[in-house]
Amino acid sequence: MRKLLSLALVAVLALSVLALPASANEKVNFSVFQLKVEIDPMIQAFGKLYNEKHPDVNVTVETLGGGADYGGALKAKLTADQMPTIFMIEGQGGYDLWKDFIADMSDADWVKDTDLAFYDPDGKAVGFPIAMEGFGLGYNAEILEKAGVDPATLTTFSATKAAIEKIAGMKEELGLDAVVSVGTSVAGGLWWVTSQHVFNAFYAGYQEYNDSSVYDALRRGEVDQERLTAFANYLKLLYDNADPNVLENGNYDAQVAAFASGKAAFITQGNWIDPNLAQLEATFPMGYISHNFLEEESTGLYMAAPSWFVVNKQASPEQQKAAIDFLNYMALSEDGANYMVAEAGMVPAFKSVKLQPEGPFSKALVEASARGGNFNWYFGQNPDGFNQGTLGPIFELLATGTVEDFVADVTAAFQEIANK
Amino acid sequence: MKRRGWIDALFIFPCAFAFIMVIIVPFGLGIYYAMTDWNGVNPIVNWVGLSNFQGMFSEPQFIYSFLITLMYTAINVVFVNIVGFGLALLVTGKLRLRNIYRAGFFVPNLIGGIVLGYIWQFIFNNVQVDMGNALGIAFLQKSLISRPDTVIWAMSVVNTWQYAGYIMMIYVASIQSIPGSVMEAASVDGANFFQRVRRILIPMMASAFTITLFLTLTNSFKQFDLNFTLTNGGPAMRFMAKPIRSSQLLAMDIYRTANQQNLMAQAQAKAVIFFIVLVIFSLTQVYLNKRKELEA
Amino acid sequence: MSQLEPVAGNKRRFRDEGRSPGLIIAEVGTMLLFLLFMVPFLLVLLNSAKTAKEIIFSPVSWPQNWGQLGENITAIFNNPSTDYLGAFVDSVIITVASLAVIALFSAMCAWALVRNRKGWSTAIFMAFVSAMVIPFQVVMFPLVKWFKIMGDAIGFPLLGTYHGIVFAYLGFGCSMSIFILHGFIKSIPMELEEAATIDGCSQVRTFFEIVIPLLQPTFITVLILNGIWIWNDYLLPLLILGSAGEVQTIPLAVTAFAGSYLKQWDLILTSALLAMIPIIVLFLFAQRYIIKGMVEGAIK
Repeated sequence: MRKLLSLALVAVLALSVLALPASANEKVNFSVFQLKVEIDPMIQAFGKLYNEKHPDVNVTVETLGGGADYGGALKAKLTADQMPTIFMIEGQGGYDLWKDFIADMSDADWVKDTDLAFYDPDGKAVGFPIAMEGFGLGYNAEILEKAGVDPATLTTFSATKAAIEKIAGMKEELGLDAVVSVGTSVAGGLWWVTSQHVFNAFYAGYQEYNDSSVYDALRRGEVDQERLTAFANYLKLLYDNADPNVLENGNYDAQVAAFASGKAAFITQGNWIDPNLAQLEATFPMGYISHNFLEEESTGLYMAAPSWFVVNKQASPEQQKAAIDFLNYMALSEDGANYMVAEAGMVPAFKSVKLQPEGPFSKALVEASARGGNFNWYFGQNPDGFNQGTLGPIFELLATGTVEDFVADVTAAFQEIANK
Repeated sequence: MKRRGWIDALFIFPCAFAFIMVIIVPFGLGIYYAMTDWNGVNPIVNWVGLSNFQGMFSEPQFIYSFLITLMYTAINVVFVNIVGFGLALLVTGKLRLRNIYRAGFFVPNLIGGIVLGYIWQFIFNNVQVDMGNALGIAFLQKSLISRPDTVIWAMSVVNTWQYAGYIMMIYVASIQSIPGSVMEAASVDGANFFQRVRRILIPMMASAFTITLFLTLTNSFKQFDLNFTLTNGGPAMRFMAKPIRSSQLLAMDIYRTANQQNLMAQAQAKAVIFFIVLVIFSLTQVYLNKRKELEA
Repeated sequence: MSQLEPVAGNKRRFRDEGRSPGLIIAEVGTMLLFLLFMVPFLLVLLNSAKTAKEIIFSPVSWPQNWGQLGENITAIFNNPSTDYLGAFVDSVIITVASLAVIALFSAMCAWALVRNRKGWSTAIFMAFVSAMVIPFQVVMFPLVKWFKIMGDAIGFPLLGTYHGIVFAYLGFGCSMSIFILHGFIKSIPMELEEAATIDGCSQVRTFFEIVIPLLQPTFITVLILNGIWIWNDYLLPLLILGSAGEVQTIPLAVTAFAGSYLKQWDLILTSALLAMIPIIVLFLFAQRYIIKGMVEGAIK
C-alpha cells in the first residue's frame, strides 16, 4: 500500500515537471505601476480593454496614491521581489538610480511618433512619455480685458511689469486680492512651483528647444550673474504682487482657488490645474504668456514630458515584449488616443494623435505646440533632492529677503554641486 | 510559589520571537547597511566602513535638525505631560460629563495623516491670521507655522492637542489603580486638593510617570508624521550662512536623505547616530525615574 | 466611586452632589477645553457635508445641505479606484487580530518577566524597552527584505497577507505593551497569586484566572493605544501589503482620493470621518467597561 502511494506520488511529481513547458501557452502576465491617481480609473479601463482585445496577455495596473513617495514604494517592491514590468521615472535622477532595470526601447514603433522620449546617455530611447505637460504665466482673460491689457502684447519683461503694476493699481475695482497667485511655501508643499517650474525659465527660456547651453554652464558652476539677476527681479515682481498668505503659507488648493475664484489675474501653474478648475467651476477664458524676465520678445511656453514609462529589463523576455506591445498600442491605436486624450484629458505626446483635450490650459498648450518656439524642461536633471532640499528654501527666503541674497545663494548652491 | 521555567519560557516566546524577527534582525541589517554604499536598488552592496558617518556633522541642516529636535522634545515632554496629567485629574474627578470628556480628549488621536495637516494648516494660516486681523494683535497676523521662531512651538501645540489624550489614558489607568480609601483618608485629614495631589497621588503614580515620560520623550524625538504633514520642514531660514528648513526634525531629515536624495546608506548612518542619542537620553530618564520610584 | 475631588478645602466627602465654586470652575473650564479640543474634529464634520468646491471656498461655513454627506459617502463606496468596503473589513480583521495577539502575548510575556526577578529577565525587558526608540525608517526596508526571505524560507508568504501584517504588528506593538503592563503587573500583590497556587491553581490557570482579570483597566488602555495606532497606520501596511494587494486597509484605500495635484477633499474628509466612527463607538463602549471596573474596585 505504502509503495503504491509513493509510486503515485512520484508519478504526480513527474507529471507536474513534464507539464511545466506546456505552460508556455498560458497568458503572459505583466504589470504597470504608476503614481497618477487622477488617471487611475481611465488607465484601469484601458488595461481591461487591452486584455479583452489581446487574450494571450494579461496586464494589471497598480496606482500609488496620496502623492505618496513613489520611489520608496518602488524600492519596497524591489525588495519584496515584486518589481513591476512597467514603472515610471521622473527624470535623470530616476534613470540613474534604476538604470539596471531600464530596457532599451529604441526599436519600438512608438519612438518614431514622438519628440519627447527619454534617451539614455548612449542615445537609446528608454522612456515612453506619459503625456505632454506645460506651463507659463497663466492669465484670466476676463480680468485683463477689464483692465485694458492685451495679453498678446505681454512679450517682454517691461511690458509684463507695466501690466502687473497697472492691474495692481486697479485691484479694488477688479475685485482682486492680489495680481498674481503664486506660492513658494515649503510647508504648503508648493516649493516646486517656483524652485522647479518658474526657475525653469532661467534654465531654458530664450533658447532653441534642444539647446541646453545655459543649463550645462550652470551645472559646471558657471552662473551667468546678469541673467540670474534679471530672473530674480522678475520673480520678485511676482512675489511683490502676490497675496502674502498664499505666497508664504498657501498650499496648492489655496493657490488654484485664488485664481479660479477670480481673486487673482495671473497664476504660475501648468495645465495640470485643468481638473481643479473644473472642480471649482471656473469658466472664464484663460491663456498663457511666457515667463518674460528679459527684454527680448518671447511667447514660448515650457513643455515636456513630466514622467516616462520604462520597461523592466530584468523581467522575462516575454513580459518585456508584451510590455512594449502594450505601450505601442497606447501610443498608436485609436483606443490609446481615446484613453490618453478623451478620457484622461492629457495633452498627447504623440504626433499621430489627432484628438484634442478639453481643458482650457491644455488647449492653450496644444496651440502653442503648433505655433512652435517653445522651451524644454531641465529641472528634472538636477541631483536628487536638490530642487526641494536646496533650492526650495532659497526660493522661499526671497519672499521676505533680497534679490542680492537670492542671487548669491543660487550661485553658491550650483557651485557646490558642480564641485562634486 | 513554584514557578516552572519552561512555562515562563513559553509565555515569553511569542513576543520575543516576533520582536526578534520584526525589529532586531532588520535593525541589525540596517546597521550593516549604514556601513555600505547601499542605495536601495543596486543589488551589489560594497562595504565602506565608517565613511557614511563622516561629514554629517558639518551639514548645517543636520546640525540644525539635531538642535531643534532636542528643543522640540524638551518643550513637548513638559507640555504633553502637564496637559495630560491635568486632563486625567479632571476626568477622574466629579465632573458631570467626564465620560464624554474622556472620549473627547482622545478624539484628536483619530485625526491623522493628510487630514491632520489640512485642518491644522487651515487653523494656523486662516483662522489664526483672521483672528489676529480682527483683534489687531500683530503677533497673530502672520501664521505661526510660517515663522522660524514660532514654528516649533506651533508644532508642540498641535502635538499636545493630539497626544495629551493618549498620555491621559495612562494617567487615568494609574489613578484608578490607587485605592480610593487612601485619598479619602487624606481628605479627612484636611489636606486640600492640591496637597493631596502632590503628597499622595504623584508619589503613588511614580511608575506611571516613568512610562509617560519615556513615551513622550521617545515619541517627540521620533516625531515624523505631524512634522511631515503640518510643516514639511518649513519655513526656510538661514543657519551657518546656508538656507535650511527651520522645522525639519531628525526623523524627517533621515527620511529625506533616504527618499529624496536617494542616499540610503547615509540615511541609515544618521539613523544609527539618532538611535544612540535617543537610547542615552531615554535610559537616563528611565534610570532617574526608577530611582524616584524606589524612594517613593 | 471617584478618588479625587477637585475642590479646594472641601471636607464634606459624603456630599456627593456638592457643587462648590471650585467644582463649578472646573466644570466650566473643562467644558471650554473640551470644545477647544473638538474644533478640528468639527471642521472635519462640517466639511464632510460639502462638495469639494464648497470646502475650498468656504471651509468654516455651516454646510448648505447635510444631504451632501450621504452623497459623499455614496461616492466613496462607488469609487472605481478603491474598494472601500473591502478595505474596511480588512482593517477590522487586521486591527482585531493584532490587538488580540498583542494583548495576550504581551501580558504573558510581561507577567513572566515581572515574576522572575533575575538578571536575564531584566535584560530581556530592557531589550524590549530600548527597541522602542528605534525609528521606523531605519528598519522599514530591511524589514521588507527580511519578510521576503523568511516567507520564501518557510514557503508561507508574509508579504501581502493577513498573518504577515499581524505578525509585524505584534513585533512592533509588543514593546510598548509589555512596558506598560510590566509597570502595572508589578503593583499586583504577589500574595494573591500565591494564595491561588496554594489552592491548587496551576501557573497557567493563575495567570488566566487571577492576573488577567486584575489587569482589565490596563488592558483597555493597551488595547486603545494600540488600536488607534494600527487602525490609522499607513506606512507599515503600504510596505507589507502594497498599494494594490489583495488585502487593503482604510488608510491605503483613502489615498485613492488624493492625487498629486487634485485632492478630492470632500471624499478624503468624509472617509476620515467614517474611519473615526468605529473607534469612537469602541472607545465609548470600553469606557463603560472601565467605569464598571472602577465601581467593582470601589465596592471591594
